[in-house]
Amino acid sequence: MADALLALAFLCSFSGMGWFAVAMKPHWVQARGDSANGEPNSGRLRLLGTIALLASLAACLGADHPSMAFLVWVMTLSASALGVAMTLSYAPRALYWLTRVGRSRDTRRCA
Amino acid sequence: MKKTALVVARVTASLLGSYVLVWGFVTFGITLGVAGGMPYDDSQTLLYMLAFLLFVACFCWAFSAKSALRVWLCFAFGGALMTLSGWLLAGKLG
Amino acid sequence: MFSSFRSAMTWVHTWFGLVLGFLLVVIFFFGSLSVFDREIDRWAIPETRFEHQPMPSFDARLRPIFESIQPDPNELAQARERVGTLPEKLRLMNWSAYTTHRDPVLTLYAEYAVPNPSDPDDHVHGHVTIDPRSGKLLQNDRLAIGSAFFYPMHISLHVQWHDLGYWLVGVAALVMLVLLLSGVVIHKKLFREFFTFRAHKHTQRSKLDLHNLTGVVALPFHIMFPLTGLVIFAGIYFPVSQTLLKPLAEKHEQIEAQARGLPHQPSGVAAPLSSVDAMVVEAKRRWAKRGMPGEVGFLQVTHVGDKSGYVSIFRAGSDRVTLVGQAVHFEAATGRVIYEEPPPSAVSGISEFLTGLHLQHFQHWLLRWLYVFGGFSGCICIATGLVFFVGKRKRRHAAEGVHGARWVDALAVATVTGTVIATLGILVANRLLPEGLDQRATWERGAFWACWSMSLVHAVIRSAPVLQARISPAWREQCHAIAGLAVIAVLLNWVTTGDHLGRTLARGYYPVAGLDLALLATAAIALAAARHLRAREATPMPEERDGFSVDTLAVDAADG
Repeated sequence: MADALLALAFLCSFSGMGWFAVAMKPHWVQARGDSANGEPNSGRLRLLGTIALLASLAACLGADHPSMAFLVWVMTLSASALGVAMTLSYAPRALYWLTRVGRSRDTRRCA
Repeated sequence: MKKTALVVARVTASLLGSYVLVWGFVTFGITLGVAGGMPYDDSQTLLYMLAFLLFVACFCWAFSAKSALRVWLCFAFGGALMTLSGWLLAGKLG
Repeated sequence: MFSSFRSAMTWVHTWFGLVLGFLLVVIFFFGSLSVFDREIDRWAIPETRFEHQPMPSFDARLRPIFESIQPDPNELAQARERVGTLPEKLRLMNWSAYTTHRDPVLTLYAEYAVPNPSDPDDHVHGHVTIDPRSGKLLQNDRLAIGSAFFYPMHISLHVQWHDLGYWLVGVAALVMLVLLLSGVVIHKKLFREFFTFRAHKHTQRSKLDLHNLTGVVALPFHIMFPLTGLVIFAGIYFPVSQTLLKPLAEKHEQIEAQARGLPHQPSGVAAPLSSVDAMVVEAKRRWAKRGMPGEVGFLQVTHVGDKSGYVSIFRAGSDRVTLVGQAVHFEAATGRVIYEEPPPSAVSGISEFLTGLHLQHFQHWLLRWLYVFGGFSGCICIATGLVFFVGKRKRRHAAEGVHGARWVDALAVATVTGTVIATLGILVANRLLPEGLDQRATWERGAFWACWSMSLVHAVIRSAPVLQARISPAWREQCHAIAGLAVIAVLLNWVTTGDHLGRTLARGYYPVAGLDLALLATAAIALAAARHLRAREATPMPEERDGFSVDTLAVDAADG
């Protein structure tokens, strides 16, 4: 059970960091590749990111004693941030799915 | 040659000068804590935790301050004053 | 001296980073290895490759073994030098045993008083290591490469003379905090470039990106470890209580001792030792009553055989970050509880959390691996910083005929790849040396230092291309050496112990399987790095302008 929660914590951290990354235009463009049109809805993406990171914390607290859970959480944030950076560097399109929820409303009307 | 002297002044201030100030801070801080009713061990532990934060701040100030002389004077005087105060207060408490 | 706070911090970051960077790579690297120090011990001492055991019965198993411990001959010889002649039998002061959830073997310690010492804390020690399942004594002289070599390297660099090693590590730790602060100050685009790693640029840009990335993403880790390390050894750096405030400290120590009722000195009247097993049962009952059921982590019998003797039983803190604690103290002769440690004060609680954060007695394998990730990120951050320093200056130095960049590069090779080679060297020597070799531990340590020295010599000899602003082939060649040594170490483990990966994984014996897998991963990464370096070495130098490469100028402009 604890292992499943920790795996979930990692998934949430990675998604959260990924959303924070694609909220920035250069990384948004990287993730969307050739179909890079539209602006990222930075507000919404950062909100999603925050929720995901808090969900990760909740999962960590479910798995361990609070003092350890906090340390585990902070370290999953670091590992996830590095993971997202490496993904953007070597396989940016892998983060495309994170951008599906974040297109800015105004530009949807454009090509 | 002058540049070397300037660098040496700053580096020694950042390491040795800061050490003198932090020593005084720890000494005086522990005695203040004990005077305030804290158990000795707790007072020492608290001051140890604060000491290195102060050291880092002093270190950076040693390089960013306009005058190395001012840094040295502050560290030496402040360190000596706090050490003396701590020692006197310890005498009163002990 | 500087026109702005930022330019002051840039100077500090550059020059303190250069001077302390080499030390810091070593401290971070061996700190990372120390996370799994006891698992490395299992690899190095095959007789101890069994599951962890709880502390066995004191009355039935441990007591006779404690009674058989003798003072260590080396310590006796050193004590004779300090105080002159020693009596035939030294007075026994206390016994102790320490167990963790990671240690299959148990080490038992005894401490003896030295007559007429100049320092009241002058004692002689003895210890034995046993297999708790049978009580069989294990050889004392086998080198526990993890906990007795890599870990001491981390905390004191094996420099014993008058605590100098601890001071060097302390200064490095303090400077690390300054480097982190100054790094944040000078990194203008901290949030904008949080996820940026332009790996495909063949310039200083990708090195700087990686340096910033590994520094920033694990910033909480990089701050907390030097800081907590300094707090742990603060008594060495600011020995206020042993000097200026000694009278005050001693007075409070006596008040504390009286409040607890634990006698400071033995009474001189002999008394038997009552059942310690019964005391353990009572201690566990009290912990459970407080809502923290647990196992024994540390057990000490003070003033052995004396009427004022007492037994202290500490709880193993494997389920939380804070260290062993919640001690219960019993009167040795009767088994009566003298004192039960109350919950810690706020200050104590914070301090024990910080200490526990660094020393990691907790049972959490994921967190341990995350710690290794953090530590290695730190190593990469510092290493890329050094390499960036060289890259930024080697063109100018090449043009001016200055050798600075060349020497820094050679030292960087010796510190980065050289450290790994030395680490692999001691593991290989551990498997290659004959089992019964006299002074085997000394030979193993010798192998480590020899490999490191050879790596430095090789790095210097091969560094001439840096004088022409090219990449030194020493990096690639040492990467190949790393790959080779790592694979050889895994094969030697198989050949000399039969514990190949198939067997250890099937059995689920992760201490050995984990290290073998880590060694293979190291080899793979080293080979990939060597290939990458070969491609880089073949690339022609980027365009030059006024003696500086266009890329370097661009980077200089970008990072101000």
